[in-house]
Amino acid sequence: MLQIEHLTKHYKGSSKGITDLSLHIAPGDIYGFIGHNGAGKTTTLKCVAGIQDMDAGTVRIHGVDMREDPIECKRQFAYIPDNPDIYSYLTGIQYLDLIADVFRVGAREREERIKKYGDAFGITPSLGDLISTYSHGMKQKLALISALVHCPRLLLLDEPFVGLDPKASVILKEIMRGICAEGGAIFFSTHVLDVAERLCNKVAIIKAGKLVASGSMEEIMERGNTLEAIFMEVVEDAGEDQCVGESGAL
Amino acid sequence: MRARINVLVRAELCNIYGWNVFRSSRDKKVKKRAWSMLAVWAVLLGLLVFYMGGLSYSLLFLGMGDVVPAYLTVIASLLVFFFGILKAGSVIFRREGYDILCALPVSKTAIVASRFVRMYVEDLLIVLVVLLPGIIVYVWEVRPGLGSYLAVVPWAVSVPFIPMAGAIMIGTLITGISSRMRYKSVVAAGLSVLAVLGVVYLSSRIAAMGDGSGEDLLRELSVHTSALLEKLYPPAVWVSAAVVKGQLWKSILWAGCSLAVFAAVAAVVSRCFHWICQNLYTSPAEHSYEMERLEQSPVLAALCRRELRRYLASSVYVSNTIIGPVMGCVMAGGLLAVGAETITENPLLPVDVEGAIPFLLAGVFCMMTPAATSISMEGKDIWILKSLPLTTKAVLDAKILMNLLLFLPFYILAEILLFLALRPGGLGGVWLVLIPAAIILFSCVYGITIDLHFPVLDWEDEVRVVKQSASALLGGMGGFLLAFLCVVGALWIPAEYRDVYSGCVCAVILLTAGILYRYII
Repeated sequence: MLQIEHLTKHYKGSSKGITDLSLHIAPGDIYGFIGHNGAGKTTTLKCVAGIQDMDAGTVRIHGVDMREDPIECKRQFAYIPDNPDIYSYLTGIQYLDLIADVFRVGAREREERIKKYGDAFGITPSLGDLISTYSHGMKQKLALISALVHCPRLLLLDEPFVGLDPKASVILKEIMRGICAEGGAIFFSTHVLDVAERLCNKVAIIKAGKLVASGSMEEIMERGNTLEAIFMEVVEDAGEDQCVGESGAL
Repeated sequence: MRARINVLVRAELCNIYGWNVFRSSRDKKVKKRAWSMLAVWAVLLGLLVFYMGGLSYSLLFLGMGDVVPAYLTVIASLLVFFFGILKAGSVIFRREGYDILCALPVSKTAIVASRFVRMYVEDLLIVLVVLLPGIIVYVWEVRPGLGSYLAVVPWAVSVPFIPMAGAIMIGTLITGISSRMRYKSVVAAGLSVLAVLGVVYLSSRIAAMGDGSGEDLLRELSVHTSALLEKLYPPAVWVSAAVVKGQLWKSILWAGCSLAVFAAVAAVVSRCFHWICQNLYTSPAEHSYEMERLEQSPVLAALCRRELRRYLASSVYVSNTIIGPVMGCVMAGGLLAVGAETITENPLLPVDVEGAIPFLLAGVFCMMTPAATSISMEGKDIWILKSLPLTTKAVLDAKILMNLLLFLPFYILAEILLFLALRPGGLGGVWLVLIPAAIILFSCVYGITIDLHFPVLDWEDEVRVVKQSASALLGGMGGFLLAFLCVVGALWIPAEYRDVYSGCVCAVILLTAGILYRYII
């Protein structure tokens, strides 16, 4: 579904960036991406979403190269940033309508989906209000509905649980599992290791822009009792040059 | 209190014109952008310096040296006043940092005072650019006594006070009224444009109240000019006399009075500051939406609708860009009201201006095109357009189309008025329609091209994009400068070649717009 090969991205005048990162996300995967603040999670997701250019490497979605056909790639996924700045001058329903128009979602389908997810997240009554009046959590919910309104096969989520209330978190996890059960895939970054441990079937750990561990949850968990303990151990042990690939070797 | 004001003033001034960002940033793009801005400003200020110096020299040459300081005061004051009306609301009641400041143990008066000081410093820089070249030419030629040199200092630093006070009062009134409305931005923009038009109208009425005919004007130019300036802005003549006669005490007294007026306005504004801010920054949420029928739209229509909503959501964006089309209609209406022959057959005008009118109309329309800052106005929301499956062409087409649709009703109205006023026949009518349309189209495409090269997306305050960005200066005024050059050509070209000239210019402009369009998509 999503193939990231040797992704490299460095910012001019900064030591931060991504170096030679490779990951494969298959249909049915809920792939957790964990790392410290500034490790490169957001940069990776932005490069995958086509928001930032890459210095080197390739990103393929369903075999289509992001550089060669970005529009076709973007039709396949939905991306939500960690702090969704959404057009504050639109109402919630106007924003959802815009996204549905861009993805050419029919009138009836969009109505059904907006109602379904709006009711599930409990923000349908607020959809007529300006987004500028929304709290962070409500913006997050709106961004999630906009991502789901066109039924993407791949979801790219940057810290999707931050700001969500407990009920919304549960619903989001159910939705994520549902998408994967239907052959979709989810690649998301998170700081909440408990969530990653319980939700993901695969996980990747990134430190200072380099992948230090990746593989199925079972393979990763062979190293310790909890993902938290393993994360701390891996991140502290990993030297600057230690970079382990998709094989799962730690 | 004073210590707290000092702290806030330091915070306000440390990043004036983006200085602190330039100094602290390691990002080469930020530095490059700042240097580009500096170059643009240097060119514009150079032109202004040249113009003001030339104006001062011309007045001295005509034997009107005594009115030079008054003339400079009026020009500087009008600049501060006009731009002050448009920016006062967005500077004084700026959202950026408001919540944090209100949570700190500082009074509202201190917050207002710091913002007044910031606005004053910005305006003082503009005033000095207007005053200094003119006054340097004046003292070089006149060689006044020491008293005049001393009187210049209090005069120069006090020039911004009164026009700023007036502009801030109007700006506060507009912001206060609009803050209680549902469509705050549209109301604020409408009232700002009305205020500017009102000032233009009153100025023209005051100027027209002079009883001197053209012949009187030539005969007693100095007296007439002085009287005119006194009608326009009485304090200018009063303080001018202090500079000319070297009366330092009068100049200091003037500065003190101006400062007192300024402080009084600051006190008034600080009393209603919190109330206005609360109304501005809190939008009522009804939480009463029920799902209704939705309809699918073509992508271009959806994007264009979004562009229009974005445009109408910002009062500073609307008021700065709609003023051109409104003034264009006023110009056309004025021509119809006074009769075209008043202008076209005026013996005092050495050239035939009729051929230049289409270019003049286009120039006024394109004083500041919305398209030129439309990419920068996306700000932090830009991730949405970047992550959606949209081609560059679709996004840019929507921006250009919105700009054209916005100008269309004004363009049609201005054209009707001009046709009634000028009654052009044959090709004259064709050029009257085609030339403004071509220049407006060009200015949209050119503006977006510039904005693609100098985008400012990390802003917190829309003023930084609409008024202070390279896109606004270079891109927004592109059509205006092009029209200005075309006007010069139209005035210079003999009447028998006018159609050839208009046709060629039109073709070149459309061709250039086409090439630019191909380049950006």
